[in-house]
Amino acid sequence: MASALVELSKALADAVEHAGGSVVAIKEGGRSGVSGTVWQEGVVVAADHTVRGREQLTVGLPSGQTTSATFAGGDPSTDLAVLKLGGGSVRPAEFADPRQMRVGNIVLAVARQGKHGISASHGVISALGGEWRTWHGGRVDQWLRLDLSPYPGFSGGPLVDAEGKVIGVNTSGPRRSVLTLPKSTVDRVVKQLLQKGRIIRGYIGLGVQPVAVSEALQKSLSLAQERALLVVNVARGGPADKAGVIVGDIILSVAGHEVGGAGDLLAQLDPESVGQAIPLRILRGGKPSDVKVTIGERGGE
Amino acid sequence: MATAAVNPILSAGISLGDDLAEVAARLREVTVQVLCGPGCGSGVIWRPDGLIVTNAHVAQTPHPAVLVGGAGQFDAEVIAVDRRRDLAALKIRASGLRAAKVRDPVSLRAGELVVAVGNPAGMAGALAVGMVHAPQAGRAWIQADIRLAPGNSDGPLADAHGNVLGINSMVVAGLALAIPANRVQRFVDRLTI
Repeated sequence: MASALVELSKALADAVEHAGGSVVAIKEGGRSGVSGTVWQEGVVVAADHTVRGREQLTVGLPSGQTTSATFAGGDPSTDLAVLKLGGGSVRPAEFADPRQMRVGNIVLAVARQGKHGISASHGVISALGGEWRTWHGGRVDQWLRLDLSPYPGFSGGPLVDAEGKVIGVNTSGPRRSVLTLPKSTVDRVVKQLLQKGRIIRGYIGLGVQPVAVSEALQKSLSLAQERALLVVNVARGGPADKAGVIVGDIILSVAGHEVGGAGDLLAQLDPESVGQAIPLRILRGGKPSDVKVTIGERGGE
Repeated sequence: MATAAVNPILSAGISLGDDLAEVAARLREVTVQVLCGPGCGSGVIWRPDGLIVTNAHVAQTPHPAVLVGGAGQFDAEVIAVDRRRDLAALKIRASGLRAAKVRDPVSLRAGELVVAVGNPAGMAGALAVGMVHAPQAGRAWIQADIRLAPGNSDGPLADAHGNVLGINSMVVAGLALAIPANRVQRFVDRLTI
């Protein structure tokens, strides 16, 4: 008797098996191991915190073979790292269409653990949000909230839909939660890590603190914003220093975008910004003026 | 005239619910309550002649009372205990009981749906639904992503057909661990009754 329940069970096991064909086990000394997702031919995405500081790694393939992998680069801000497989052929992941994603969709977290083979857990998408920044400043294209239990070794494995198509890469969030980095974010990070081995971030050389813009000031300068950024530190010789920004200046906007928090400033310092001269509207002695700052690269020079 | 269109997805959902209810009903028939002091556990009718399998940690007295749905209360005898595997065999005087259909879990795949029935907090026949996490981790356990409550253990873990895959034994880091049915069968095969 082929019941709907039996059909669903088979479909989900098929989805796990299909997705598992692109999931490798990353062996770690003493621990049960973590997972990696084969993103493109010979390229494995892993959770940065699980592989950081290791040049050479041993990887268990879906075929049961073991091969070596080299660390090609990592990005602590999104907790993603890229490894290059030393040998063996693994089918890259097949991807889901992110536009089809809806709250209530069944999702599966797939992992591979050295000796136990593939493992899976199930849940649903409980909420979908917009772009957000991690605690370390990494830009993530979409917030995915899941009702799904994380189990040991799931970090670096994919989140897949009911057909086994990859939605993103899982890593651990705060308080035993699952954080999924969506495909578009992983694509962007992988591209940069493969090109440069690191994530380029813009650098302006400023320490700032949010301050309230008084009503009187709002009125006299016809400003709509209630908050701005007070410059509390200027790195000597840094981009802002060269542009003449001094401690005590109040930054109202960057490249035309009002800034009320440090995140608003960070948002203007994406990789594409490096080398560009962006205008800062500042308030000094109660008078507004514009300065142009040429964005440097963090960790550069 | 044309009949009202039936939403195929909705009707699939209804049959899914019906199927689950059917599997649950079948599983509840083969799950017994073992009355063991303040708390109590569950057990699985392994043979129609009244052979019941449960966890060793449930069989604390030599003659526990066993509640069989539809057949009433029995005085059971603990006939074998394997503490290392946490298995116990009980025998009640009965015949023609409906026994569990057992599936050898060697064919089990990660991602298959599983159901569990137990008696958490004395609630007889409570159902939980989840997924196979790792089919036979180290061969000793079936790991399942399913939310079990205390008292939910000692009951059956079954597949989407309602075939028993193992006996739920404990919960570790949120994962349910079940003793695979083939191990239970080996334990039962060694009994000389």
